[in-house]
This record gives sequence, C-alpha cells and structure tokens, in this order.
Amino acid sequence: MSELTFETTLPAVRVQRTASRLRPGPLLAVTFLAFLIIAALAPQLFAHSDPLAIVPHDAFHPPGWAHWFGTDQSGRDIFSRVIYGTRQSLFIGLAATALAMGIAIVLGLLGGLGGAYLDRGVGWLLEILFAFPSLVLALLFVAIFGSGVGPLIVATGLGGAPGYARMVRGQVLAVRNAGYIEAAVALGHPTRRIILRQLLPNAMRPLIVTLTMGVGQAIVWASALSFLGLGAPPPAPEWGTMLSMGRDFVANAWWLTFFPGLFIVLTTLSTTVAGRYLQQRLEGRLS
Amino acid sequence: MSAITYSNARHERLARLARRATWRLAGGVLVLWAVATLTFFALHLMPGDPVLAILGGASGNPTAETIAQATREFGLDKPLAVQYALYLGRLLQGDLGMSYSQHLPVTQVLAEQSWATLQLTFSALALAWLLVLALTVLTAGRGRWVSSLASLAETLAAALPHFWLGILLLAVFAFGLRWFPPAGSDGWRTLVLPAVALAIPLAGFIAQVTRESLELTLEQPFVLTARTRGLSDTAVRFKHALRHAVLPGISLSGWAIGALISGAVVIEVIFSRKGLGRQLYQAVQAQDLPLTIGISLAVAAVYVLANIVIDLLYLWIDPRQQGKTA
Amino acid sequence: MLERSPHLRSQGRRSRSLLKRTPLIGFAALCSLLVGCGPDTSTVARSDKPVSGGTLVYATDREPTCLDPHVSGDMPQVFIGQQYLDSLVSMDEQGQIGPWLAKGWEVSADGLVYTFHLRNDVHFTDGTPFNAAAVKANLDHMANPKTQSSTAGGYIRQYRSTEVLDDYTAVVHLATPYAAFLEVLAQGFLGIESPTALLRSRDQNCESPVGSGPFKIVKWDRQSQVELVRNPDYNWAPPTARHQGPAWLERIVWKFIQEPSVRFASLQAGEVDVIEALPPESHEAARRNPDLTMLVALRPGNPTNGTLNITRAPFDNLKVREAFVRSADVEGALKSVYFNEFPRAGGALSSATRFYSPDFEHAQDYDQGRAAQLLDESGWTGRDAEGYRTRDGKRLQVHVVIGNRTPPSELTLWEQVQATTRKAGFELLVEQMSDVQATQRQADWDYDIRVGYWNTNSADVLRIVFGSEFVQPAGVGGYHQNTAGFSSPQFDAINQQALATQDPEQRRALYYQTQQIASQQYLQLTTYPQSSRLGIYKTTQGVRLEPSLAVTYLYDAWVNK
Repeated sequence: MSELTFETTLPAVRVQRTASRLRPGPLLAVTFLAFLIIAALAPQLFAHSDPLAIVPHDAFHPPGWAHWFGTDQSGRDIFSRVIYGTRQSLFIGLAATALAMGIAIVLGLLGGLGGAYLDRGVGWLLEILFAFPSLVLALLFVAIFGSGVGPLIVATGLGGAPGYARMVRGQVLAVRNAGYIEAAVALGHPTRRIILRQLLPNAMRPLIVTLTMGVGQAIVWASALSFLGLGAPPPAPEWGTMLSMGRDFVANAWWLTFFPGLFIVLTTLSTTVAGRYLQQRLEGRLS
Repeated sequence: MSAITYSNARHERLARLARRATWRLAGGVLVLWAVATLTFFALHLMPGDPVLAILGGASGNPTAETIAQATREFGLDKPLAVQYALYLGRLLQGDLGMSYSQHLPVTQVLAEQSWATLQLTFSALALAWLLVLALTVLTAGRGRWVSSLASLAETLAAALPHFWLGILLLAVFAFGLRWFPPAGSDGWRTLVLPAVALAIPLAGFIAQVTRESLELTLEQPFVLTARTRGLSDTAVRFKHALRHAVLPGISLSGWAIGALISGAVVIEVIFSRKGLGRQLYQAVQAQDLPLTIGISLAVAAVYVLANIVIDLLYLWIDPRQQGKTA
Repeated sequence: MLERSPHLRSQGRRSRSLLKRTPLIGFAALCSLLVGCGPDTSTVARSDKPVSGGTLVYATDREPTCLDPHVSGDMPQVFIGQQYLDSLVSMDEQGQIGPWLAKGWEVSADGLVYTFHLRNDVHFTDGTPFNAAAVKANLDHMANPKTQSSTAGGYIRQYRSTEVLDDYTAVVHLATPYAAFLEVLAQGFLGIESPTALLRSRDQNCESPVGSGPFKIVKWDRQSQVELVRNPDYNWAPPTARHQGPAWLERIVWKFIQEPSVRFASLQAGEVDVIEALPPESHEAARRNPDLTMLVALRPGNPTNGTLNITRAPFDNLKVREAFVRSADVEGALKSVYFNEFPRAGGALSSATRFYSPDFEHAQDYDQGRAAQLLDESGWTGRDAEGYRTRDGKRLQVHVVIGNRTPPSELTLWEQVQATTRKAGFELLVEQMSDVQATQRQADWDYDIRVGYWNTNSADVLRIVFGSEFVQPAGVGGYHQNTAGFSSPQFDAINQQALATQDPEQRRALYYQTQQIASQQYLQLTTYPQSSRLGIYKTTQGVRLEPSLAVTYLYDAWVNK
C-alpha cells in the first residue's frame, strides 16, 4: 500500500447500517427500480403516446391531466418521453458499469495475482487514471472518438473503472490468503478453476452492492455528458439529452428540465437505498 | 526526561512524514509525466487535421501556403516521436505551447482561468464540510427519527446531479426570486449559487461517511470516559469524537477534488462562469490540442498534489496509519 | 471558428467574404417586417436628455477569438469593432455613402482608381496620426494572406495597391471595376486600425487592437468580458451619428453570457443594460416587461437554411427535392421552437436584402399531398415495414450533417423537420459531429443536407451559394461555398450581367430571375432570416443598430443610473 491510500471512489460503500428489516425506504426504492425495469422492457404499459410524435401546436403545455409532465418544445408528451427514455438511460448506466467492472476485474486480478511487479504496474496505471477526474477523462475520450451512445458508454465506463479496479484488487488480495483458497491450492486444483470458482466469486460478493449503487452514478455521469451535448443525439428520449434540449426554456417551461432530472435523481436514490439494503442483508448473512 | 522522549518521538514522526512526502512527490511527478504522455498520444488519434483546427477551424478555409506555414510553425511535419520529444522538452521549461483557439500561450490561459475555478471548488469544498459538520455533529446518534431524517437528506443530496441542481437553483434563486445574479465571475454574489450547486451533492457523500464513523466513535469507550469527566455533550462531540470521525471524510476529500473538478465543468457552463472547466469543454469542442493537454495536466497536477497533502494530513491526524502504510 | 450568428454556432462554413461586386448595400429592414414585434422597436427614443458618464454593461452570446475584425471576420468581432473603430466612409439608413475618415473621394472613369481625401485632424488612441499611410497599411493588412482575413480580405479581392500621394491623399488601385467598394468600406469589418499597432504580431493585435473610434479597448478578460473606455479626444463622428464629440458613456463592459436564458435573466434583473441575441422564447416576456425595450432588425443575405446536395441521390432529382421541402412543416416548427418570433423565409433571399422579391415566399409551403404525389411520380413508390418509402429496395434516406455546437433550438427545428418529412416517407438522419469532421464531410460531398446561412448585404449572395464558380473549394481547407452543387451556365450569366450594370431597375429584373431559378430548383429548405435582436433595460437609451449589417452602435447611447 505504498501509493494507495484512497480506496474510496464510491464512498457509500463504507456506510453500514445495523438494522436489516425491510423498512419503507428500501421498499419504495425496490418498487421504483422494478417500475423502471418494467418501463424499460415495456414502456407502452405506462405511456400511452408516441415519445417521438411531434405536435407543434401542442408545444409547451404545462403539466396537467392530458399531459402529466407537460409537453416539450415540439409538443411531445414528456411523461411518455421519460418513460421511453428509461430503456436507453438504464442501458447506458448498466452497460457503462459492466464495462467499468470488466476492466476492473482484469486489472484487479492482474494486480492481485500477477506478482509484485505486475501489481506495482497496475497500481501505477490506476494512479494515473485517477489523476483524470471522471468527466475530464470522458471529455478527452469524446474528443477523440466523437459523441454518441457508444462513446458515451465507454467514456462513462472508463471514468468508473479505476475505482472498481482498486476495490477488486483489494478484495483479491484479501481473499487470496483465505483458508479455502489455500486448501484448494493444496488439493492441486488447476489455477484457472480456482480463480473462476473460488477467488472471483468470493472477491466479487461485497462488490455487488457497489455495483448496484454504481449504476446510479453511471447514469448521472452519462447524463452529464449528454447534458453537455456529447451523448445520445436528439430526438432520442434519453434523460440527459432531454435536459440539455430543454435548458434554454427553463425560465418559460420548467417542466422540460425538471421531470427528466427528477427521474435521474430518483433512480440514483433508489439504487443507493436498495444497494445499502442489499449490503445489510449480505453482511447479516455473512456474519 | 519525558520532554526529551517526546521531542524525539515528534522528530521521528516529522522525519517519517518528510520521507513519505518526498516519495509521494516523486511518484506524483511520474504520474504527471505519464498523464502528459497519455494525453499527448491519445489526442493525436483525434480525427481531423490539427492544422485546420489551428487555422480557425472548419471555416478558416486557409490557403495551401498558410497550411504549410502553420504545419512548420507548430512542428506538425515532424515524426510523432520527435514531436513528443520536443513537447516534453518544452514541458520541462514550463512551456505548454500556444492555444489554437485562443491565440494565447496555454500557460497564460491557465493563469487567467485557474483562479476562478480554484475559488469555486474551494468555496464548494469548504461549504460542503460546513454542511457536513453541522448536519452530522448535531444529529448523529440522536435517536432514530432525527438520524433517519438526516440520513435521508444526505442520501438525497448525494443523488442530486450537479447540472440539475444548478438549473433548479438558477431558476428559483436567480430567475424567480432574483436573490443572486444569474451569471458572472466577479464578486461573492456570483459565487453563491455555483458553489452551493457543487457543495450539496458533495456534502451528501461526505456526510454519509462521517455520520457512520461518528456514530461508531460515539460508542467508543474514550467518549464515555470523557462524558463521565463531566464534559457537555456538544463538547464531547466537537472535541473528542469529531477528530476521529472526520478521518474517512478527509480521505474522501481526495476523491472530492476530482468530483469537484468534474462538476465545475458543468457548473461553469450553466452559470456562464469563466474557469478551467468551461475552458476545457470549449477546448475539446474546438479540438484545441495544446489547451486540452494543458488543462488536463493542470487538473492532474492539482489532483496529485491535493492527494499528497491529504495523505500527509491523514497521517498527521492519525499516526496509527504510519505503521500500517510504511 | 468563423461563425456568423448567435443562432447557428456550428455552421461556420458560410463566410461573408468573396463579394466581388457588391451593388448598393441593402440595409436591414427594421422591425416592421417582423411578425409580432413590439411597438417601440426601431430606436429606443425617450424624451430624456443624454447624460454623459456612467458604465453600460452589454452582454452577448459568443466571445470572439480575436478582437481585430480584419482577422478571419466573424459577427462577434464586428460587433465590438463598431465601438472602437472608425471607417473610411459611412453609410446611412437609405444606403447612401457619406464621409467619415475620408472627407471626399473621386472615382476614375474606368472604375479602377479611387482617390480618397482624408481628414487631417484624426489620431488613433495610441497617438498615431491618421493619414494616407494608415489607409495603405490597413488595406494591405486586410489583403495580406497572413492576416487570414476571410471577410474583409474577401470583400476587397480586387484590391491591388495604395499609393500615398501626400499625407492626406490616398489613391487606391483595383484590378477590376468594383462598384461596391465604397459600400464594403463602410462596414465595421473594414474598420481602420492604428498602423503602429498593426506592426505587432497578429496575436498581439488580436488581444488589444487600436482604433480611432469613440471607445478604446483596455482589457480583455477571457471567458468573461472586454472593457472599453471612452476616447476623450473623439471628435470625428460620422454624419449618421446623433451627436458629435466624445461618446456619452464613460465605459462599456462587454460581457459574454452564452446561455440564452441566463443572458435574458441578467437583463431582467438589471445586472446588464443591453443584451444581444435576445432569445426568441423571451420576446414575449420582454414585451410584457415595462422595464425592457426591444430593438430587432433582420439581416440581409441568404436566410438560415438546409442546402440540399444535388450531386447525389436522392436529391439529384428535382421532384424529390420539392417533395422533401414540401413535406417539412417549417411554419409549425417556427411556431413552437421560435414562438412565432421569426418570420418564415420562403425564398433564397432574406426580405431585408435589396432586390428581394416576395413572389417566391410560398414556393416552399407545407403540402404533404403534393409531396406524396411528387414521390410517386419519381418512382419512390414502395413502403418498408417502418413506413419509409423505397425504390428498388432502397430506403429514401437523407443525411443532415450538423456540427456539435448547434444550439438546441436549431436541433429541435430539424427534429421537427425529421418528424414531418417522415410522414411523406423520408428517413432523415441527423448526424452531429465536430466542426472539423463536418467540414471534412462537406469537402467530400458526403451529405444530403448542410445547415447554414450567409449574412451579407447584396443579392449577389446567390452567386456565391449557387454559382458554378463556387462548386470548387475556395481554399484547400476544403469546403466549397456552393453546398448545393448547383451549376447552371444560364444562372451564372444572369449574375454576371447583374454585376456589370449600375441601373437599379435592370438589376432588380436580373436578380428576380436568379431568385426565380433558385426557387424553382428547390436547392434549399429555407427556414428563417437571420436577425439582430437587442433587449434594452430601462436605464439605457440611444442604442442604435448600424444600418448595413444591423450591428450594435453604442456611441450615441447613454445610461441613467
């Protein structure tokens, strides 16, 4: 640990709660996440109008019975757009987190198992990556590879990877010396099998929580990029893009920016609360 | 006798800190070199001819002679390895090149823009800590309702994206109530809304960690001892428990610097403030290579430096760490 | 970036340059032409007497990359330039040329030699006297390729040399007759700078240019503001000015506030006194606000448009072009995106351009029935599963190439075009990319639609955007100015005829023909004319728009606060 002292990229991980009953908070969070997942799979269940249908003379209707969240500058129903946008926003969040984790596992395993030199190398790489704040890294990435959903996912994933990698490495180091691994080694099991069957699952278990919360954070960062006009191109009903397209009208029509933002907040909030609940359950079971 | 031992221990401790600082600084320089190298090569992958970006971008419509001249002037006709060597050489002399889009030396742009960003991020960091201390010290371990309410507020704060919060603050306090000017970079009044927009989510993160650790600390025996000595509850909280409880939060401040700089990009755009964040965003859009590299380097340098300081601060506050990390 | 307007930040391709012969300069039509303009719009005229002193805070959307308008030549540069530079000649609201730094002039019979008699009482704010050598230094500076002047330099391509006859007589030689020379000299882009200052490096001169105007630049605080102070010696205002002597204002703070809503809120709060590029979504609020007045003028030239690339399928077919234009509900988009604050431009010229004819305003009217019929006729009869038209198994696809700095409102407009043309069976793909990539695509003719405009004060603009000589790239930077790829000897001939004659009626008839051809060929989907739109707080009076380019002019303005 000569160069690494700041293992916290997703600080909420450290938070532990003692109670583990299903209180209203987690219940609401899980319900909302379930709602989002259903909305992502079958948006037509909730939204009755086409998110891309343009009705210019219906532009800028404030929220009301006909349009719960109002209409935007093209007369599109914002509620429908937010619901249909769930798919893309969730997908971006999940894909970016998965990518970040993929990179993290490779780096973490290399660092944790590859011997002292490799470990030091990985440590340096992480230190270098950490020197770029996530949005700066993402901006550089977008500058090189252009904007769009693909680069957005990669940029967000890259921004999150060093944090996860540090955790994976820590976990691998901790688990490597555990009794059951030593036992497996003594029994002569092949290394690959030990890594895949024993080491990785055990090292990853505590990270599940982090990942849950990470999806929320990834959605926030991705929408920040979209907000800067570097993400999903319009008319895609992606939340960040909707915010970006609506921000010129914030003085005339607040609902254009308010509702997509609200969904980002609720999603992040739910992943955090649900993740924390999951953590309590896992810890409860483990201890 | 005892004074001497104490002074020796203190000396020892300082020496160890200095050794550590030296190592960390050397490491930091290496990291910066790597950052410079990485950015340099990565940005040369960028599509489009940098000469066109130099010559007024897409619409400059320069002639063949001006292109040839600029290519020579910026050394773009040389092999990449030579360009890299030249770049490193200049970098060592503190020369970051000329910004294509600003027609200014990058160092001058950095000098002009850094102060505004530093002001913003440090006010935000200070404000965030103020909020954290107020919220956690006063509410930690005060019974379920207070605690869960405060905890909800923290979780909510941490979930707020900067850009959305910024727009809301702008709409309510600048457009609606007109308490603060909606734009500008001069005077404390223009600083309030951007700093608040940056501080609230950050405070949420730090508070979660600090509350957790404060609640654990309050259960420690030494706190009980302090109480039995007749210290008031507030005194115990501020004098004894806090010192231990802020440690995780302080280590988080390193991460916070990065988060603040990321946030500053968006906030400076929303509030039309000058600063490095908005400049970086514009440099990326204009494909202004030297400026993009320069700002990335500056940001990385601040990050590395801040982390060294925090690392040392951490050691200073909690000497136990020294044994662990040495 | 050379960008022409607060509105379309990304479409820098359109330079205002290359006007070989600008006929008499058409001047900006004032607000009466705008649908739904406020009552008090032409000049802010209140009965109060001018007050000397005080600071005016001005806020605009874009920061120039260089303060010297000779270099490149973008709209934000000329807006600042107008405050600290004087021109050789002036132009009034009727388009008549008057004296300014030149007291008088003679033009040789062959139109190749202009002899200017200069004022002898003028000096620049660095103390350098204004004289014939200064005129020579300036014209040479604009024409020098190293200055990279696409606007000023482009306007005087006919310039050959200046002869300093004596201190106050400059003789300018042109290569070819150029009837519009005086008019372009009246523009802020060709403002006269101190020859001493011009000797410095280009970058230095960009940072702190020196003129002889009513104000001088003291400080440029990047990403924030430019500060100008009054020139106390100023005593050579043009005859078009409302007063003589030094400016009323003591100081101008010229701020850059990019976000439209923030800029307008700053005006409402009285944090700034004047804003430029008043966002259309705030016009209504500005009208209703008793503290605010509006000053709006359309800019002449080729209005904002999507130019169709006729060199490749599907727009190589006239019927498909008309079908596309007809199936785009631009009126609906203007109503919702721009709150009906922008008039529809239906023809190739903005209504503020001289020789503009209203006869072509309705050639682009929304008509899905006609679009469907045209597409049937041109063989796009199939429909695929998603409802798009097909021909020989190929989908009717068009690609719009848009730079990534295009403002949201312009993107929304194209989203709406996308949605309405879809009803006719077009698949419109909006491709956003960096400006450098977009230029590359343009240079490769790899697009079906490019969004742009061209602000200039002559109907001759049609020669630049549709003339065959502009199909070839102008510089090796790659792009051609005729983005349609239109090439017609007949069209070219009419333009040449129009340049050769001075008779206004003949020119009107000839420019009627070029407008007609452009309209019948459906080379562009025109949307709305460019405009200068100021919002003015109650503390400020006397703000004017300079006639030829509709540029803010603060010399006559004063503040009461």
